Amino acid sequence: MTMIRWILKTLWLQKGSVLGSAAGVAVAFLLVIIIEAAFVGESRQIVAYIEHSKADVWVMQRGVSNMHMATTFVWDWKLRKVRETPGVKQATPILYVNTAVKAGGKNWFAYVIGLMPDGQRAGPWSMARGKAHPQAGEIILPAALANMGNIKLGDMAGIADQQFRIVGFSNNTFSMANSVAFVTFKDLEDLISSSGTVSFILVDAEEGVDPKELARRIEANVEKVAAIDHDRFIKNDFQIALLMGVEIVSFMTIIGSTLAALIIAFASWSQVARRKWELAIIKTLGFNNTALYMAVIIQSLIITALALGLALLLAALLVPGLSAAVPIITLEVTSAALLRMTGIALIIALLAALLPAWLVARVDPASAFKV
Amino acid sequence: MWRLALQQILHDRVRSGLTTLAICAAIAVTLILHGFEQGLYVQSKKVVMDRGGQLFLAQAGVANFLAVRSSIPQLTRAAVEEVEGVDEAHPITGFWVIYGPEGNKFPLLLVVYDQLGGPPNIIEGQPIRAGRDVVIDIGLAKRFGLKPGDPLVISEFEFRVSGISSGSSALFSTFAYVSYDGLIDLLIESEIAPDISTFPIVSFLLVQLNEGADLMKVKDRIEAQVSEVDVFTPQQLAAKDVQLGEELFGPIMGVLISLSYIIGMLVIGLIIYSDVSARRRSFGILKALGFRLSHIARGVLMQTLLLVTVAFPLGVGFAWLVASAIEWNMPVYLVHVLDGPGLIKTLLGSFIMGLLGSLLPLRMIARTDPMLAFQVE
Repeated sequence: MTMIRWILKTLWLQKGSVLGSAAGVAVAFLLVIIIEAAFVGESRQIVAYIEHSKADVWVMQRGVSNMHMATTFVWDWKLRKVRETPGVKQATPILYVNTAVKAGGKNWFAYVIGLMPDGQRAGPWSMARGKAHPQAGEIILPAALANMGNIKLGDMAGIADQQFRIVGFSNNTFSMANSVAFVTFKDLEDLISSSGTVSFILVDAEEGVDPKELARRIEANVEKVAAIDHDRFIKNDFQIALLMGVEIVSFMTIIGSTLAALIIAFASWSQVARRKWELAIIKTLGFNNTALYMAVIIQSLIITALALGLALLLAALLVPGLSAAVPIITLEVTSAALLRMTGIALIIALLAALLPAWLVARVDPASAFKV
Repeated sequence: MWRLALQQILHDRVRSGLTTLAICAAIAVTLILHGFEQGLYVQSKKVVMDRGGQLFLAQAGVANFLAVRSSIPQLTRAAVEEVEGVDEAHPITGFWVIYGPEGNKFPLLLVVYDQLGGPPNIIEGQPIRAGRDVVIDIGLAKRFGLKPGDPLVISEFEFRVSGISSGSSALFSTFAYVSYDGLIDLLIESEIAPDISTFPIVSFLLVQLNEGADLMKVKDRIEAQVSEVDVFTPQQLAAKDVQLGEELFGPIMGVLISLSYIIGMLVIGLIIYSDVSARRRSFGILKALGFRLSHIARGVLMQTLLLVTVAFPLGVGFAWLVASAIEWNMPVYLVHVLDGPGLIKTLLGSFIMGLLGSLLPLRMIARTDPMLAFQVE
């Protein structure tokens, strides 16, 4: 207890330095939190279309099991066979292509969804303004683009050499890597020089029918298609999107953590170096090295805890603010990420205590008697 | 003043070493983030430039190579080859597919080529010799432990890895190269397209000119005579892809790089603050000797600049080591640390961070009582 009191007193006497260290470490933590939040947020937006379309089962070319960056072709006659499968209430085909849409003088990566005239259920789920279903030569774009690109209803958007009139802005369809745009099935067919195929079939099950069982039935009934239930389809896409960034997140976590460990080590070391004389007195009073090591570890833990708290506070303030100020960035902080950060912080605190502990061990008790 | 600053640094070597390491790590973080952003653009440029050909033809209205759908009618190739000055037009096709087992799927761009546009640098194995052969990028090979001779199953069609190339990655994913024979086998066996004639089989055309033909004149001629395509030099198309990358990744990378500068500033500020705080008695003596605050502040600033000067090359070295480790482990990524403008920007940024950081403890120096000089430690 005496040692803890001494540590707290020491830290309090150097509050400016302690706060400075904590701030430095906090920003290093914040950097890691934001990098991960950017990847998670983007991955979440990438599955927004699948999540909100709420099809019980997704049917696509066999061998394909997700939507993001995938290419799938299903012969159009297979649509009839899907519709005839017992348990299918409704089957809505879409054509889909991953490409760039030019609007407001800028290019945006987008999922372009081609909708059938009766394909409203596969269209936008929430409209900010304008029409929810496009006609020939029309396009519906994410509402976020209207603000970022200074685009308004009636303006033109280009996909390859085709120009489309913007007739609607949909909510929650923007993402940095894959926004969702809606055009007619026929327009998209012309655009990609395709005929006789659809990309995905969104299947709604009759009431009481288990989607997994229905997926099995469709695969058995319709040759060379993959049928995947809603939950698994979302999981597949989310995983792919996340996997693309997971290595970078890991590397940046290591780099950020190393930096944090160095800052904490420096701060703890400075504190110990400054208090060498006091430490020598403590040693002459009979405190052994173990007690002093514990004191150093506690000091390191306190700085780390302070930094972590500060990082979380900054993240809570910065994340919503950033998303509002820079709408192109979607950030999502998960509790799993915060828990991981806390675990990493604990390890950092222990590692950072090694160097000052070494210094403590070298303090000569006799130096207490030197003036 | 310079000598005093240098003596202060040399006085406690462990402390100075740790200080330099911390500043060097802060600089390295900035450089790595900057290098990561630049790497994205360098890769985007490289994959266009590596395709070969003097002119790059895309579907009319399409102005990018990556992540953009382009579809050119097959007969266009003959029309292009009739243009004066054109020797040959080589088709290439690209479409995204997903490879890998459940839980570890990865997107790859399947590049289909005839004679031109294939893998630029095969580092292991052989080029494509048969329809089922595929050349994959080292990024994919490392990720899935693939080597020449292994199968590569795409849409239930089994290719065989004939070779491994390097430098064919962009936008967090890699390329795999197959021949048109391979594509047709894939389409037929997988029943991907009901009618191959309607399948978009040509995405781009790579044009080689007759010897002595004027590049810009041929470009104008193709544009005038073949309305289905837009014509670019590889440099122009690469610049468009880089611009697209900047529009997409610029904002998030800007936020991260700004954060790294704030870290750097805080690290330097903290170090100088601790140093000043530990040397208050020395400052008291200087004040008692008649040194003005501006003199002492200049000394602190010089010490900071010396530390940054030493830490910067170390930071570059450290960043380069980390970048090499990232590229060796995950060749999908390129961390372009040794980028001239980036280095200059970071060097200037580091000095500004140092300047701002050394301002933080000024108040403490100003408040230091000269009487401290006469107190026993």
